[in-house]
Amino acid sequence: MAKKSLEVEAEVEVEDEGDAAQFKMPVDSDHKATEFWLFSFAKPHMRAFHLSWFSFFCCFVSSFAAPPLLPVIRDNLSLTTTDIGNAGIASVSGAVFARLAMGTACDLVGPRLASASLILITTPAVYCSSLIDSATGFLLVRFFTGFSLATFVSTQFWMSSMFSPPKVGLANGVAGGWGNMGGGATQLIMPLVYELIKKIGSTNFIAWRIAFFIPGVMQTCSAIAVLMFGQDMPDGNYNKLHKAGEKHKDNFSEVFKHAVTNYRGWILALTYGYCFGVELTIDNIIAQYFYDRFGVNISKAGTIAASFGLANIVSRPGGGLFSDYLSKFFGMRGRLWGLWVVQTLGGIFCVILGKTNSLAGSIVVLLLFSLFCQAACGLTFGVVPFVSRRSLGLISGMGGGGGNVGAVLTQLIFFHNSKYSTEDGIFYMGIMILVCTLPIALIHFPQWGGMLCGPKPGYTPEDYYQSEWSHHEQQKGYHTASLRFAENSVREGGRSARGSGHSKHTVPVETSPTDV
Amino acid sequence: MAGLRLSKTTIALLLLIVCHVGPSMAVLFSQLPKTLIVTATTKSGDVLHAGEDKFTVTWALNTSLPAGADANYKTVKVLLCYAPVSQHDRKWRKSNNDLKKDKTCQFTVVKQDYSATGKHEYTVARDIPTASYFVRAYALDASDTKVAFGQTTDANKTSNIFDIVGITGRTTGIFVSAIVFSAFSGVALAFFYVVENKKKK
Repeated sequence: MAKKSLEVEAEVEVEDEGDAAQFKMPVDSDHKATEFWLFSFAKPHMRAFHLSWFSFFCCFVSSFAAPPLLPVIRDNLSLTTTDIGNAGIASVSGAVFARLAMGTACDLVGPRLASASLILITTPAVYCSSLIDSATGFLLVRFFTGFSLATFVSTQFWMSSMFSPPKVGLANGVAGGWGNMGGGATQLIMPLVYELIKKIGSTNFIAWRIAFFIPGVMQTCSAIAVLMFGQDMPDGNYNKLHKAGEKHKDNFSEVFKHAVTNYRGWILALTYGYCFGVELTIDNIIAQYFYDRFGVNISKAGTIAASFGLANIVSRPGGGLFSDYLSKFFGMRGRLWGLWVVQTLGGIFCVILGKTNSLAGSIVVLLLFSLFCQAACGLTFGVVPFVSRRSLGLISGMGGGGGNVGAVLTQLIFFHNSKYSTEDGIFYMGIMILVCTLPIALIHFPQWGGMLCGPKPGYTPEDYYQSEWSHHEQQKGYHTASLRFAENSVREGGRSARGSGHSKHTVPVETSPTDV
Repeated sequence: MAGLRLSKTTIALLLLIVCHVGPSMAVLFSQLPKTLIVTATTKSGDVLHAGEDKFTVTWALNTSLPAGADANYKTVKVLLCYAPVSQHDRKWRKSNNDLKKDKTCQFTVVKQDYSATGKHEYTVARDIPTASYFVRAYALDASDTKVAFGQTTDANKTSNIFDIVGITGRTTGIFVSAIVFSAFSGVALAFFYVVENKKKK
């Protein structure tokens, strides 16, 4: 058995040394980039980054295109508060299961095909938004358009496949943040397009319908770009890698088993519901809140609402960066503490927002709330890539799906009917954030520790990631990618782990493991 | 997160903007005298179509009032107002006794200089939504403050309610474009799948 493993290792070694030279960026033994060059389009790493964040951005623009135009749509369709609330819930509930399915699809066919397919399948819902004439129609188009939010999972999966552990938090954070920004940008774009079309000469009830073609076209074009220019992994697309035997085509039931039996995935799913889920809820309710409570017009309400979503340009990446920074000094324990502190602060500002009575005060608190809430999202996905290597897609999907469940729950409990005024709903939602963030303290990695307890002595990252593969599968060498990941994630042990002789960033390409 | 510190001057300026109040006396609807008699050619249950149908609204000062009751009336503003059935479960159309916050009447039929009697023929505008309505006229003084009113319905807003059917907004152009663009997305996906399958072989 040892000889066969050495042979497999040797083949991989020879390939590595030849291929590493073809990448413009410095890479680790997995060919994942060890640096993040934001303004470059270097193939394949940075190109994948720009394709994934932009296509995800377009999905957000479409999914939240309706809220800023609700003052017009609600009159055209004669909607009631209940109708609007139901549609808001529908817009985020489709993605709960779509994100799980997307996670699995990424594990099986790769993020490029999975995301582009989903985006192209949901664009008709965006175009048909211009044709609806009833509350039911409104609910259905928002429901089907919302499925596209599952591209979040493919974004995170793709970044986790392209970027090495020391940079994965940052890459995930920027891609996720710049995509989420679509929820803010749309609150500016849609009113602007609507006003422009009205100026050209349309009536209001026609103008909003025409406006919906903008997000639709953006979405279609971005999906085509992903298909034409994207690549699943640094070494190629899944179908090419499967054919060459370089990538073992995993089976669904094993991937599924290892995801659902990992309790850390479930906890992160819950807590993500109270940063990202809350963000989605705010995207849905905040423009109407400012329009109705403070009497500002559609454009002004849209601008204020936009500031919440646009904060994502720095806040979520900031969260990812902060996670990577904490990991440098404190390893995984730092990442977990950072997540808990930042998300709790987000909850505190949400509570304050519900109690602020002035327009100016509300805007200031909203901005602070957005910074912490979105940074928490970035910090969450600084932890997720380490929960599982084999079932990375499904774990990302669970986390992402949990985010949407949080959005469904908060809208259902606090904003669906006239039981609470919107400001009271915001206040209680803040309290719920504080409570539902506590479970982070329960997450423990035996190789690195958790918030409250240290690591299990003698337990290595190799032990953790190898335990996802059976003895039989290890004999066949299916787990080699997991082992490479384990080596490259040694730094998550914090400063003490680095005393064992590994370099500051990652294992350099030239040295390959001689022991398995 | 660290960089968000507001200076004292900025806070002061913000407070100044927020706290600036105009002519501060709140005008309450319950205190407005009903001195105008307003009638419209619409009857209870009529259905009018936006952009096509017309109706005429007539207003007159109640002749049984003492002379000079309308001394400070400078302008008349006639509005289309939502009936209670169209306000149900719609917070943005809620009636409020404080006229600054009242959202019952959102569409202006006509605004003109005051005269003891007046009449106006109105073609229902294309941006009026589908709902049930009545007509109300306010008399405004020189500072544009409401000082009196009259309406076509009773105090409970149940009589003389008529319906307006708004335009759908769905033009043929939009219909065709939606179908074409949707079909294109489907075709694009199918095309790339065929290409991928060819690559596999």
